[in-house]
Formats: sequence, C-alpha cells, structure tokens
Amino acid sequence: MTTVHVVGRGIVGVRLHRLLSGRRPVMVHEGRWHDITGTSPGDVVVLAHGGDVADRVRQLVARGLHVVTVGDSPTDALDLLHDPPEHLGTSLVLGAAMSPGLSGLIARHLANQLATVDEIHVAIHGTAGPACARVHHRSLSGLSPGYRDGDWIDFVGGSGRELCWFPEPIGAKDCYRARISSPYVLQHAFGDVSRISARRSARRRDRFTAWLPMLRAPHPEGGVGGLRVEVRGADERGARQVAIAGIAELVGTAAAATAAAFVTGVLDGLVHEGLVVAGDAELPTVELLSRVEAVGVRLQEFTGIPQP
Amino acid sequence: MKLLRRILGALVIAGTVAGGIRLKGTGGVPPQRGGWRPLELPDER
Repeated sequence: MTTVHVVGRGIVGVRLHRLLSGRRPVMVHEGRWHDITGTSPGDVVVLAHGGDVADRVRQLVARGLHVVTVGDSPTDALDLLHDPPEHLGTSLVLGAAMSPGLSGLIARHLANQLATVDEIHVAIHGTAGPACARVHHRSLSGLSPGYRDGDWIDFVGGSGRELCWFPEPIGAKDCYRARISSPYVLQHAFGDVSRISARRSARRRDRFTAWLPMLRAPHPEGGVGGLRVEVRGADERGARQVAIAGIAELVGTAAAATAAAFVTGVLDGLVHEGLVVAGDAELPTVELLSRVEAVGVRLQEFTGIPQP
Repeated sequence: MKLLRRILGALVIAGTVAGGIRLKGTGGVPPQRGGWRPLELPDER
C-alpha cells in the first residue's frame, strides 16, 4: 500500500500527519530524513521542513516518488519552475501550503468567474511555526519579486505599504512587499496575467529589525493568520470586475489542510503528472478547495461595500 | 530676535490652523455594510 512520508515534525508536519493518518500508512520523519531507502516507487513524500529543498526534490523524483513541497523558498521555486526534474510518471506539487498553495487555488476559483484576468494580488498575515516565522523575518529584508507587463521587478522588501482587509477577526493590516515565492508560482499558473504581487503583514518593529538576526526566539506558533486573494479582470461584456476571497485561520492549520488536499488528490489520481502548482487550470480546483474546507478551513469571499 | 519672533509666529499660526482642522474635521462614517461571507463552492464534482 502507498505510504505517505511526512518530513519534518513542525506544526505543519504534525497537523498533516493527524489529518492523513487512519486511512493510509503515514510516517513522520525527523529533520531532513536523509535515508530514503525505505521508500517504494509511488509513495508520496511531503517536505514540511524549512530551508531549500530543490536538490532534495530532484533526488526524490528520480526515485519515482510523488513529492509535495510546503516551503516558501523563492530560490527553490525559480530553480524547479525553470528546470523541472525528469519524472517517472509521478507528480511534483510545488508549494502546497497557505501561500503558495491555497492562494493559487483561490485565485483560480476566482479567475474562473471572470472572462479575462489581468491582475492577481495576494496578501498574507501570520506565521505557522518557528521555521515559518524565521522565513517571515528574513523576507522583509530581501528583494521581493513583482510581475508587471511581462517583466519581473525586484522591489525593496518592506516597501509598498498597502492596507489590506482580511476576514474577521483579523480585519485591516498594513502589508508590505516581501521576498516570497507566490508571484513566481502564480505566474507559472496564470501565464496571461500582466500584474502579480504578494505582500505580507508586518509591524513597524518587524520592518525595522528585518536586517538583523531575530532578536528573540520565535513563538511556538503564531496566532490566527489570514490570506487574501484579489483577482482583477473583466466580465463577458468587458466591464471591470474585482473578486476577493480569503481565510482567517491558524497558518499551520491552513497549510496542513492544503497539503492534505494535494496528497489525497495525488493518491486519488486527481493531480496530473510532472510539475504541478496550485492554480494550474488542469487541476480540479473546486474539488481541492472542498477538501480544504472539509477539514475545517472556512473560505470566505468579500462582498464589497455598497456605494451610496 | 526678529527671526525668533517670526518662527514663533509661524508656529502659533500653524498650531491654530492644525487645532482648528482637528476640532472641526470629522473622519467620516466608517462603512456600515459589506464585508465577508462564506464562499459557496459550485457543486461540479
């Protein structure tokens, strides 16, 4: 029977194990799990630990394993999107967390309601475990990618403040450009879109200390986090339309739910072979979103503010 | 001395204008309707 190997015993790894166990064999591995001789072709490996994973992914895919990544490394995203590994009929899901991951599924769902899509803007609030918090801290000091009219622009991390409204109880948060991989992943899935951006919420202290090492150890888990996906385009008559949806949930829970949806999707044969990113038009987006909702993550849409 | 008087005068005028705006101005009424609702997924599975 196919075994699911979850690598990493952090918040996401433990929660993913809880969601998947009971119906199929699931093994959780500590650290980076270097000895993969116990795997069989067709097994699913979920890389739920921090750090770069591109080389690791190539090694696992070459062994005939399905691979699902949960991390948010722009370096990995660029590497694997530009040079996807040769596969043996298996799937490589790049980015199956809250963002990238759930953000792509929501973007595709919103895009399907419009005739054309020009812009996708993602905002995230909160972190999962300590590894996620460290990525958040570092992301505000690096160059952050933005896509405009066919060109990638490197913005200064921590710039571009925008007040973004998340579902309650989060409400409005100041969000800033950051070094996160979502724009790369979304651009791969939405090749015709002319503008893509991703921002994350931050406090003044986060931005001021971003260039320093973390001054104190991160919390075991962040509080309630949020995701907001805004898709701009036009309807059949050419009228401008904006569709917004998001979630308010613990980031680790949302990430684990998304990873679980992709893992079960792979096992059920719903996910195509080769490189897969959330938001791919080929994916059964509604089915995957339903699986995310089935484990308690509540998807919400912004109804807009009626004009007088 | 003349320069000091001018600076003080400018500060007094600026403070008076700012105070007037602060007292007279209203921030408007925040939106009372709209917001978020559960996203209903189509049953196309």
